[in-house]
Amino acid sequence: MAADTQKPRQLKYVWDFQDQVFRGIMRSAGSSVLIIMALVGLFLTLRATEALGTVGFGFFTTQAWEPDSGNFGIAAVIAGTVIIALIAIFVAVPFSLGTALYISEYAPRRIKRMLITMVDLMAAIPSVVFGLWGFFFLQNEVTPVAKWLSQNFSWIPFLSVQGSDPSDPLTPNTVFTSSSLIAGIVVGLMITPIVTSVMREVFSQAPIGEREAALGLGSTRWGMVRNVVLSFGKGGIIGATMLGLGRALGETIAVYMIISPVFVVQPRILENGANSVSSLIALRYGEATQMGMSALMAAGLALFIMTLIVNFAASSIVARSRSGASS
Amino acid sequence: MTSPNMAEEQKRQLHGIRIRDLLTTVTAAASAIASTGFLFSIAPLNGPLTFVLIAYVLFIVFFALITAIDDDREGVKDRVASVVIRSAAVVIFSALVFIVVFTISRGFEALPYLNFFTEDMSLAGPLDPLSSGGILHSIMGSLIQIAIALAITIPLGLITAVFLNEIPGKYSRFVRTMVEAMTALPSIVAGLFIYATAILLLGVQKSGFAAALAISVMMLPIMIRASDVVLRIVPGTLKEASLGLGAGAWRTAWMVTLPTARSGLTTAIILATARGIGETSPVLLTSGFTASMNLDPTNGPMVSLPLAIFQFVKSPEPTMIARGFGTAAVLMFLVLILFMLARILGSDKNVFGNLVKNIKKLTKKKVA
Amino acid sequence: MNVKLRMRVLSGLLTAVVVFGFSSSAAWAADYVPVNGAGSSWSANAIDQWRRNVVQYGMRVNYASTGSSDGRNQFKAGTVDFASSEIPYGLKDGTVVDALPSRAFAYIPLVAGGTALMYNLKIGGKRFTNLKMSGETLTKVFTGVIAFWDDPQIAEENPGVSLPKRKIVPVVRSDGSGSTAQFTSWMADEHTKIWDDYCKLAGRSIPCGLTSNYPVVSGKGYVSQPGSQGVSGYVSQNANEGTITYVEYSYALKTGFPVVKLLNDSNHYVLPTASNVAVALLEAKIDKRPGNSYLTQILTGVYDSKDPRSYPLSSYSYLIVPTAVSGSFTAAKGATLGDFAYYYLCEGQQQAEVLGYSPLPINLVKAGLEQVKKIPGVSAKDKDVAKCNNPTFSADGTNLLAKNAPMPPAADKLGYTGTDTGAGGGTDSGNTGGGTDNGNTGGGTDSGNTGGGTDNGNTGGGNTGGWVDNGGVVDNGIVGPGFCDNDTGICQAVSAEAINPPDPSGRTFAQVQIILLIVLFMSLLLAVPVLSVMRRAKQN
Repeated sequence: MAADTQKPRQLKYVWDFQDQVFRGIMRSAGSSVLIIMALVGLFLTLRATEALGTVGFGFFTTQAWEPDSGNFGIAAVIAGTVIIALIAIFVAVPFSLGTALYISEYAPRRIKRMLITMVDLMAAIPSVVFGLWGFFFLQNEVTPVAKWLSQNFSWIPFLSVQGSDPSDPLTPNTVFTSSSLIAGIVVGLMITPIVTSVMREVFSQAPIGEREAALGLGSTRWGMVRNVVLSFGKGGIIGATMLGLGRALGETIAVYMIISPVFVVQPRILENGANSVSSLIALRYGEATQMGMSALMAAGLALFIMTLIVNFAASSIVARSRSGASS
Repeated sequence: MTSPNMAEEQKRQLHGIRIRDLLTTVTAAASAIASTGFLFSIAPLNGPLTFVLIAYVLFIVFFALITAIDDDREGVKDRVASVVIRSAAVVIFSALVFIVVFTISRGFEALPYLNFFTEDMSLAGPLDPLSSGGILHSIMGSLIQIAIALAITIPLGLITAVFLNEIPGKYSRFVRTMVEAMTALPSIVAGLFIYATAILLLGVQKSGFAAALAISVMMLPIMIRASDVVLRIVPGTLKEASLGLGAGAWRTAWMVTLPTARSGLTTAIILATARGIGETSPVLLTSGFTASMNLDPTNGPMVSLPLAIFQFVKSPEPTMIARGFGTAAVLMFLVLILFMLARILGSDKNVFGNLVKNIKKLTKKKVA
Repeated sequence: MNVKLRMRVLSGLLTAVVVFGFSSSAAWAADYVPVNGAGSSWSANAIDQWRRNVVQYGMRVNYASTGSSDGRNQFKAGTVDFASSEIPYGLKDGTVVDALPSRAFAYIPLVAGGTALMYNLKIGGKRFTNLKMSGETLTKVFTGVIAFWDDPQIAEENPGVSLPKRKIVPVVRSDGSGSTAQFTSWMADEHTKIWDDYCKLAGRSIPCGLTSNYPVVSGKGYVSQPGSQGVSGYVSQNANEGTITYVEYSYALKTGFPVVKLLNDSNHYVLPTASNVAVALLEAKIDKRPGNSYLTQILTGVYDSKDPRSYPLSSYSYLIVPTAVSGSFTAAKGATLGDFAYYYLCEGQQQAEVLGYSPLPINLVKAGLEQVKKIPGVSAKDKDVAKCNNPTFSADGTNLLAKNAPMPPAADKLGYTGTDTGAGGGTDSGNTGGGTDNGNTGGGTDSGNTGGGTDNGNTGGGNTGGWVDNGGVVDNGIVGPGFCDNDTGICQAVSAEAINPPDPSGRTFAQVQIILLIVLFMSLLLAVPVLSVMRRAKQN
């Protein structure tokens, strides 16, 4: 008897019919999602190979985009995409950091809840609305600032403007419209709510014990924020930034509405002329021939891989950091 | 810095705003504005934005100087940081609110016309006044497209999320990684994929259905990921209790896991919907363009709100641009409704009450 | 219980909505099946107007002005039922030949018009509206050889005008465009050297020839915008001073901006008015060889027409229609497309001039009507062209519009040195329209007409008056009442019909349905929160 109870009982799992069906449905749903996702990736790669095969490595170094005459590459558009995304990050991160800190550390408790809701709501504003605002409002406001910057800081290479003479009062405004800077600011504002939201989430998880310890040791509020909240949330900040970067890289409509596309690497951010992969696709998909379509697919794939790397880097940074462990 | 014999040391104020801070801020702001005005009068500067930028930098400098009069280094740092952080929040909130207000005010020209909500654009051309033509076709288009997209993504997305949680293993981990990768897919590439496969390859027309497919490809990973996170926090003890009572996997999922996570799932769905309904680029490639009402998603082009905005503001006509802004206001309103819905359902506190009821029902049945 | 009830309510509502939606969409469908098209933004204003006019017959024509290249390509891919384009298939763009579509197709002439050079320039704070340019100057402007508005070459052609030392900003199309193709084809033909030099600079192979995608040299201050709407919208922004673009005349009229008077081969500066375009196109050669290029145009003759009235950058655009049933294109769609083509070839052409285009001449209308018969499923009609009231037709077969086109005033002859600086909006109306009042130079200044609404040059066809007076721009007088007030009465019929839909009862019924549908959707949106609030109240 005693020996019998010592032995682990043989567990037999019997799936009744309902559960078998359920498991089947779950598996097949999972598999079909997997198939859809794999199909997107595979199809993009497959269609891209034609274009990649034609130009080979030149695809990454050519700036022009004339797929039909076999002279095309993503050097210009990828550079343009990255420039716009970097400006966006440059705009978004400081403001998001400030806003997130304000909500989690400084805001009176009464309005805290409301601010959190507002940030989440702002994250849902459609990008085309940001595009409208950028095109019809911001453009006119940024032009004089851009002009002033180019007049006073043209010794910084990326703030110089070709085709504009600072001493000439009749310098056309057009030189400063449709620039990477304007597109970048608009995209930056667009990603601010989501970046803020992620950062705030992380900051709010900073351990209360450490906060109290810092304050108890005589730290000012800023000292506590810097030494506890920020050092705890470092991973979250980087992760949120990367997440925003991924969003900014893929943004289409707001960029499309603002820029005037050029097919050269154009690092002068104040000057008219910019480009991005997604706006290139929006502009050229309709008129693309077989080869043109393949080239667009290759560009799309390159963009996808880029955002993929950024996203995975973000999630691994977050997961490794202190703040990520609890989320 | 503090000596023990300092009898009346002041308590450090950690919350709220001190009157001294307020005065310092006002003084610093006033002097910053004044000196910027002076700078503008002597230097060739112009533009309101330039003014604000310079004034702000000066404001921070003055603020730091004033606080430095009676505070130590740490104190100055604390004050300056607080002011910088507060102003960042003010800038962002006012910018975002301004974007909304700007859109609505520019669209206000078109919004008072009733026909703007009850007509399509088939009889209104570029030169017609705002009293003719409207955006009913795009409102309907948006609703139909999002309804189809939801019909695809909700079952598929939710079941997949349940799968990721209920059948753990190598396979589901792989699916999860894949889904996570797909959240990086730019929406335009989702549109391009549907355009190249469904439309060019399979010969599906540019239609509401094709647009809904593109939106689905974009929304699916977002929804799965969000619901996966929600389902993951359902306490394991609840599931174990249900299984322990003899319920099967199906019953546990349907009566315990899903109801527990219901509010979170609703939020996930509605937030994904808000994303899907506002995205322009996938529909730009797949839905075609029409000025008239089309309620049949399988046949002929169907316009949605974001696409209508995009097409309206392309025109140089002021009336068309007003219509574009009006449409944007309507779209934002729709997103706002969705969002409030999410809030109402998401903040439901009665989830556990429901759960208890369900478990009671479950045990009753088993007993009987 | 609650969950289930709510589910049931939700699904019930959803079913109701879906059923309702489909039933009402069925009620929508008239005898005509909707057709979908895409393409040229050059001719989009005309198509858009015609599309609206045929709604009264129950036809639904969907048109997306996405650019000619897009239109041709989508037609090739079979994603649209028809396309419109300024250039035919099979042209060589750079080194690449645009392949013919595999589906059977035919060209039907759509409308004629002039590619105008719209600009935004102020002198002394006032908008300058009387700019004159020769073809060579224009080419140099668009190739960056001339970079400033006060360039001696421009100054020489505009004596007495103190042009500002402002940079010229050429605004070009960023998408593949037929306008670009027409414009570059003209530059390549007429000013080959300058154009080729520019192309080489932009990294294209030479001889450059025509291209649908304007090559842009970075750092020259060029601006690229998508679509005719994009370029005209950019130029018409007040702050964008110094810009110039090529766009169909109708866009300049709509935005109220002036266009360049272009020097023709007989040394007269002319505007792209309907009559001047009609005169120029008398020299167009139409390809009469049966086959895939039937009815396409050869414009070399137009570029150097010797008539003092001819506008050099005139051309036709085409509708590309399928001639066989394939893919999603059915015979039923063919019927709609055919009737639409009949409409615009005949009645529609009356409005061409008001819209800023030029009506097709009789030979092309006749040939076009024959082409329509090739569309599968079309109910072939024998339209009597005499009853179309096309202002270009006459009893003896001559092009009336061209015949009666007013001569350009003396002031617009090359080398005229009179005082012809008349600033202010609408100067040109006096100049061109002045055929009747002896080229009165300042005459137009009083019209208060905003810039582009230039030509009230009554062409004698009697079909054009009236619109300029509606407060400047073409205004809404197109469909609404009041269109063609001073008219012969012909187009009143059109306008009268257009504002009275054929079946008012059906329309209101449809509206009721829509309102019901909205109510349903709103209730669907509100049902969930209301239910949850109710339940919470009950539980508390």
